[in-house]
Amino acid sequence: MPGFSRIASALPMLACWLAASSWTGRSVAAEPPGRPIVPGFERFHSDPVAGDSTGGRLLLGELNCTACHKGDDAPLAPVARRQAPILDRAGARVKVDHLRAFLSDPHAVKPGTTMPDLLAGRPKDDVDALVHFLASTGSTTDTAVNRKAIGQGKTLFEQVGCLACHANPASKSSPLPTSVPMADLAGKYSYNSLTAFLLDPLSARPSGRMPALNLKPAEAQAVASYLLKELRVETPPSLAYRYYEGEWAELPDFDKLTPVASGLAEGFDVNAAKRHSNYALRFEGTLEVDRAGPYTFHLASDDGSKIAVDGKVVADNDGVHPNSKKSGRTRLDKGKHKVVVTFFQGGGEEELEVEYEGPGIPRRPLDSALLPAEGADRPKVVAATRFVVDEAKADKGRALFASIGCASCHQLKEDGKMVEARPASKPLADLKGDAGCLAANPPAGVPDYDLSTAQRQALASALKPEPRKPTDREAIARTLVAFNCYACHVRDGIGGVEEGRNEAFATTQKEMGDEGRIPPLLTGVGGKLTSAWLKHVLADGAKDRPYMLARMPKFGEGNVGHLVRPLEVVDAVEPVPVPHFDVPERRVKAAGRFIVGSQAFNCGSCHQFKEYQAAGIQALDMTLMTKRLRRDWFLRYVVDPQAFRPGTRMPAAWPGGKSQLDAVFDGDTSRQVESVWLYLSDGPSAAVPYGLGRDPIPLVAEKEAVLYRNFIQGAGPRAIGVGYPEKANLAFDANELRLALIWQGAFIDASKHWTGRGEGFQGPLGDNVLTFPNGPTFAMLSNDTEDWPRKKAKELGDHFRGYKLLGAGRPAFLYDIRNVRVEDFSEAVSGGEAPTIKRTLDLTSDRPPGDLYYRAAVGRKIEPSGEGWYAIDGEWKVRVSADSKPIVRQSAGQAELIVPVKFNGDKARIVEEYAW
Amino acid sequence: MSLARLLSVLLSGFLAVILPALGRADDKRPVEADYYKILTYEPPAGVVLEAGALEWMPDGKVAVSTRRGEIYMVSNPLADDPAKDSKFVRFAHGLHEVLGLAYRDGWLYVTQRGELSRIKDSDGDGVADRFETVSDAWEINGDYHEYAFGSKFDRDGNIWVALCLTGSFTSENLFRGWALRVGPDGKVTPTCSGLRSPGGLGMNAEGDMFYTENQGPWNGACALKHLKPGSFQGNPSGNKWYESAKDLGPRPAEPKSGGRMMVEADRIPELLPPAIYFPYPKMGQSASGIACDTSGGKFGVFEKQMFVGDQSSSFIMRISMEKVAGKYQGACIPFRSGFASGVLPMLFAPDGSMIVGGTNRGWGSRGQRPFSLQRMAWTGKIPFEVHDVHARPDGFDLTFTKPVDPKTAADVASYKVGTHAYIYQASYGSPEVDQTECKVERATVAPDGMSVRLVVGPLQRGHVHTLTLDGVRSSENVPLLHADAYYTMNYIPKE
Repeated sequence: MPGFSRIASALPMLACWLAASSWTGRSVAAEPPGRPIVPGFERFHSDPVAGDSTGGRLLLGELNCTACHKGDDAPLAPVARRQAPILDRAGARVKVDHLRAFLSDPHAVKPGTTMPDLLAGRPKDDVDALVHFLASTGSTTDTAVNRKAIGQGKTLFEQVGCLACHANPASKSSPLPTSVPMADLAGKYSYNSLTAFLLDPLSARPSGRMPALNLKPAEAQAVASYLLKELRVETPPSLAYRYYEGEWAELPDFDKLTPVASGLAEGFDVNAAKRHSNYALRFEGTLEVDRAGPYTFHLASDDGSKIAVDGKVVADNDGVHPNSKKSGRTRLDKGKHKVVVTFFQGGGEEELEVEYEGPGIPRRPLDSALLPAEGADRPKVVAATRFVVDEAKADKGRALFASIGCASCHQLKEDGKMVEARPASKPLADLKGDAGCLAANPPAGVPDYDLSTAQRQALASALKPEPRKPTDREAIARTLVAFNCYACHVRDGIGGVEEGRNEAFATTQKEMGDEGRIPPLLTGVGGKLTSAWLKHVLADGAKDRPYMLARMPKFGEGNVGHLVRPLEVVDAVEPVPVPHFDVPERRVKAAGRFIVGSQAFNCGSCHQFKEYQAAGIQALDMTLMTKRLRRDWFLRYVVDPQAFRPGTRMPAAWPGGKSQLDAVFDGDTSRQVESVWLYLSDGPSAAVPYGLGRDPIPLVAEKEAVLYRNFIQGAGPRAIGVGYPEKANLAFDANELRLALIWQGAFIDASKHWTGRGEGFQGPLGDNVLTFPNGPTFAMLSNDTEDWPRKKAKELGDHFRGYKLLGAGRPAFLYDIRNVRVEDFSEAVSGGEAPTIKRTLDLTSDRPPGDLYYRAAVGRKIEPSGEGWYAIDGEWKVRVSADSKPIVRQSAGQAELIVPVKFNGDKARIVEEYAW
Repeated sequence: MSLARLLSVLLSGFLAVILPALGRADDKRPVEADYYKILTYEPPAGVVLEAGALEWMPDGKVAVSTRRGEIYMVSNPLADDPAKDSKFVRFAHGLHEVLGLAYRDGWLYVTQRGELSRIKDSDGDGVADRFETVSDAWEINGDYHEYAFGSKFDRDGNIWVALCLTGSFTSENLFRGWALRVGPDGKVTPTCSGLRSPGGLGMNAEGDMFYTENQGPWNGACALKHLKPGSFQGNPSGNKWYESAKDLGPRPAEPKSGGRMMVEADRIPELLPPAIYFPYPKMGQSASGIACDTSGGKFGVFEKQMFVGDQSSSFIMRISMEKVAGKYQGACIPFRSGFASGVLPMLFAPDGSMIVGGTNRGWGSRGQRPFSLQRMAWTGKIPFEVHDVHARPDGFDLTFTKPVDPKTAADVASYKVGTHAYIYQASYGSPEVDQTECKVERATVAPDGMSVRLVVGPLQRGHVHTLTLDGVRSSENVPLLHADAYYTMNYIPKE
């Protein structure tokens, strides 16, 4: 395959890294726009080489030349030629105005399109006739996009893989030569038709060049909303609703009830209700059906719902229940139908979603398909003028569709009957390569593809049948070119993400580097994945790497399923002999489990295991390994990961093939590796590896206080927790020099911070947690009405100075409030019905301030409750002993108990007791 | 097609790597353990000794701090059988992930996540009771990645604190991504910017401070870097804090992502290129502790050389460093593998043995114990190793620990020299790029057989030069214990 060897040698030798590919994108001299864009041709063949017909054969298939010029039907065998879009329901997908413009001048309306201009030089009436014919297959209704989803749609568009082939409309830089053009999407599609296309592109474009990214319905709507964000449509309300209040266990008889309110709604929106429990809604609207046939209606609701069409119940989802789904089917004639949806809500969650599908209509929300409700104002901007098909013109269009060549490429079935093409073109082998479509200026009546010189030369060189069948290796490479797999993947040093698209590949685990974001190397993939998994990935797409945002799209088995066999043959890995074990298999698996666990290689520090998150990066689920991977590959890979995934972070657990675990199978690597494979072969039912999941590590104060300095919820990142043997506990915030929490019972569970990397804040393990508000313990106030300051301690010039341990390991916290030195000592007191805390604050200063206050409590309400105690919010109480009297005040919307600090010489003392 | 043929197809080109045999290695060649033995301490049951830092105490004990915030005093640490004869007593608890220990004047200085503190036992009961904050001049916000590593005292009495970025990519809080010096008076001097994820701090024999950096954003591979005061270490995420470090001058120019370190270093005067790269993953995946042999020969023939640990690979590397163009650069050479857990702190004891602490919590390691404390001691036998690698304008001067065999050492076919660079970029890590092969033109053996002058062309500025000495034998016809050395050629010497 001369074309490829040339490319491979032209590239800098791919060193050893998945993403080195990013920099091997061949820079292509951008010709002026105006040629059909076939990415594989632009990237690998735009500079044809004499004697190499690969690029030309690619074009023969991608431009569908053999649809008219009979010859080899798979000119780039085994890649089947690319079928043009199926037009059975073209009118329901593409707007009439776009059809007209595009047919009149395809190259101007969508530069880079592979659709030839067939109508140049023909009378205008011909375009009109074709438009009427195509419009007779269905109609579009413009509805407003979901503006709230535009942001999400942009993110998806930029991350799931669209940008591997397309340019970003949000980007200001000019598209790369390999960018597959997109039409003026807002002019071409309605919100619903683009959503339906994105959900299942293969139904309209069966050849898989636009693969399905396996978007969920809401994701497809979001991407469509983003791509059509310029589309401004005002939709009139389509539903009349009535709102009822009452308590029901099933849908009430609405005829016997009087509505509390009524009005018009844009959708089946439970927000029409005035409260969140014990109500019911009845929605009524009109569905106009273009085609007779079976229609299915889907209800999803919490609680009950029901849908009736023309008075007949189609789906019944009644009763009190969490969100449940019910569907029903009915036959509808062409014309208008009355739709009534009823719903009631008891308590808890409230949800209602109504969708429908029918002949040529993929599942979609029902509300946006309904006609405007009676009494609704006409919108200022009319959503779409209803195009009226002229039957005579449509008949003429049908005839043209067959005669001028449309039907040669496009499938269009009417009532199951294909519009047949009338071929009148020469067989491929009889062509000379310098006339007709390949002429520099194609004559009228000949399809004008707007070919570049390079493309014409390439095509001319490929008109003769291929002398021999391609080898397996060539067959693989051809497929990867035609389907643009090379846009994401490297195989055998070819392809990979182009530098200009590098940024479009992102990850949720940045620290995995390129391995976390660039789709995997395909070198050797046929020896790596099992046949079933390879087939599944190609046929269905995949999202096995939780950290990678790009998805493997679905290309369709019929399109790329032929890759499985040659990949297996070319990539075969030499079998690893099965070692002999002297012990039964369950003992072998137990050894494998040990090796995987935290006492040995601790694979769970990076790899997920079913629902167990890894401690660090979230690499592929271990229980999926034996389903995805071939045994021979796995056994070789774990011994030398770099040989298979150059640059991977996966460490070599058996470096140089040598075991680090002498105790398992006498340090024999092959038995150890095999035992891991056997253990993992149990898949999701494999016993959980040791050390996964977190055992609690409760810290208990036995005779002395226990300190825990860490991120404590409610006490900040520099918290110091203290657990006392008396079972009262506190957390001091060393950043803000304040008592932050007190609680009773158990102290704290250290497992969050003492297993894995220790991410996050840990709250108390015990009960009755009292959380004190932010703000310093002491403040300088000019008078006792000034608000308590909100500044941070460091901003106020106050400093934490540490602590000293007094009797029984109890800390006295030390800090400076400006020039006042504070020693803040707490002890737990048992004896009453619950332990209490007694806090003693000793202050010293060589220049005692006269304006220092201590804040003893904050609440909504503070009142004396006898014997010096103050009740806070009636829930807990404090008693303060000091040389001055506490003041209860209202400040900044709350009640505060503050104490002026009175120095005796250079010393002052405040004692506060907490009972809660 | 035969299976052998299939395999050779698989291995052609890109995957031209010989798959290691799945079996046990033969043990006839000299091995590391012949020269440096590893002894293992056994902490009492229930003690989770995830070692974060080590210090030698004046009473002959070793202080070991842990990631769980405890400090243990290990008595009789130099016992021949530490598992039996060394005892552990808890000195302190309740600290916040201590990754720095330094002793001075009765106080043990401990670097916690949020502050540098000093602690002591004031009443002589063997347990610390005074915990004083020395400096909290930096901020934390609860992100696990915001580690703080502390050094020993430098020649001016400073402790250096190296502060990891927030969550690997950003600097959300004051001085994340900086190295600070805390003076004897508690005064804090912001000293270097551009740090990302330090794994340890340590000084060379001259007393200059270094730290280990980990592969990640703006770091193509793990590296040993010189914390030259005023320098910018390459990751600009924390450079906004120049506004809080007025004495350090203006904020350096922003590096351009996607280029090469030396191109940017030539453009940005503050940017100091890494002294030594550790090619990933051959020389580890998580560079960690640093220790310098100042034992005066008690550790063998590597006096004044530095040693650097690796957490993932559970091994320790050796550093041969020199100054070229006024800046440190040099080579790393494998030294000793097989530690029980992920190597983190390292400390030379007065007897010239090296105490090595380990943990693999949160980051897996080749050594499979979750934590460990070990001691590496010289057996008295000298391994045949490359001792030093010095760059010359046209090649290298190599010195050896033992005389070489003049025949193999003079044969240019005994040597292979390849080079590569890294992309200096904002995204994580870098592949090895810009590979070249150097031609070994001449190998001249010194009369005493202790050094070889290697003429190599052409050297590549800004590249790591991988020297493979597979063919060289000692005068006793023994191959090198480690045949690879990786020299970071930021600058090619002029003479």
